[in-house]
Amino acid sequence: MEGGGYLINIPGVPSYVTYSWLAMIILVLMAVLVRSSIKLVPSGFQNFMETVIDALYNLCEETIGSHWAGTFFPLIGTLGIYILLCNYMGLIPGFDSPTSNINTTASCAVPVFLATHYYGLKVHGPKYINHFLGPVRSIFALPLMIMMFFIELIGHLVRPVTLSVRLFGNMMAKHILLGVLAILTPVGVPVLVLGLGVIVGVVQAFVFVLLSIMYLAGAVEEAH
Amino acid sequence: MKKQTAVILLVLVMVFLLVPVAFAEEAAAAAAEAGSNAKAFAVLGAALGIGIAALGTGIGQGIGLSKACEGVARNPGASGKIMMILIIGLAMIESLAIYALLVSLGILMSQNSFF
Repeated sequence: MEGGGYLINIPGVPSYVTYSWLAMIILVLMAVLVRSSIKLVPSGFQNFMETVIDALYNLCEETIGSHWAGTFFPLIGTLGIYILLCNYMGLIPGFDSPTSNINTTASCAVPVFLATHYYGLKVHGPKYINHFLGPVRSIFALPLMIMMFFIELIGHLVRPVTLSVRLFGNMMAKHILLGVLAILTPVGVPVLVLGLGVIVGVVQAFVFVLLSIMYLAGAVEEAH
Repeated sequence: MKKQTAVILLVLVMVFLLVPVAFAEEAAAAAAEAGSNAKAFAVLGAALGIGIAALGTGIGQGIGLSKACEGVARNPGASGKIMMILIIGLAMIESLAIYALLVSLGILMSQNSFF
């Protein structure tokens, strides 16, 4: 696991940074390739990209609503495809997955957190604090409102932590499991873990995207 | 009556499983001071932490999975939606075990006893 060198090794730059650059280059190349030969009736690669984008957009739209789905979709779509690509790069021998490092996953989770509060404040203004105060609004329920405020504050602050740690932990656990199994049983069993890695990559990217959509939808909806 | 016997048996099994742990902790605390045995306690804590987390995760995911199977058996047409809800639920429960794994790994790495 730590023994071999990586395929692309720029001295002085950590491996997760170089492979995230590689993921960025791949994504930009894919976008430029589709855009340069765009046709009204899609075929081939454009068809594949349109299917993916359409699926993500429908997922966005059924939770957020069509008014805000267009605003949030670039962030959500980019995060989804980038995290999926980074997770799968870890399965190729010689490559490292950038998401198996807490820096990359935190850099994916913190913008979602900031976007949630920015859009919440932009839509609701100072009334955004109604989201934090719980269901009851009357002067007699002031202790309940204060307690709900602290609980919701802690819940909100822990969201970027859980988003990043969930993704990082899953990828790290897969790498460690592969490393240990390579020492114990080099023949046959690591293939099962690689299969599990394929499934876990898709599921974790999907859960990240879905949770981001739910947090953003919760911030811009009308408070109860 | 069957449910009562099942509950009593389950409680007895849990007690029998936890007795050696309680005795081991008592004996270890009586036998040595914590300063020279920091590494032993750290390793014990790391193993117990992830073990108990895996136990809770297994039970939680098992109950969720059984209810999802029941739902699909009742209404096979809704199997797509139920599977999506199941996958999301399993990933959320799994993340609790991942937090415990990270704490265990942190404990092991702090004692330089990680491979």
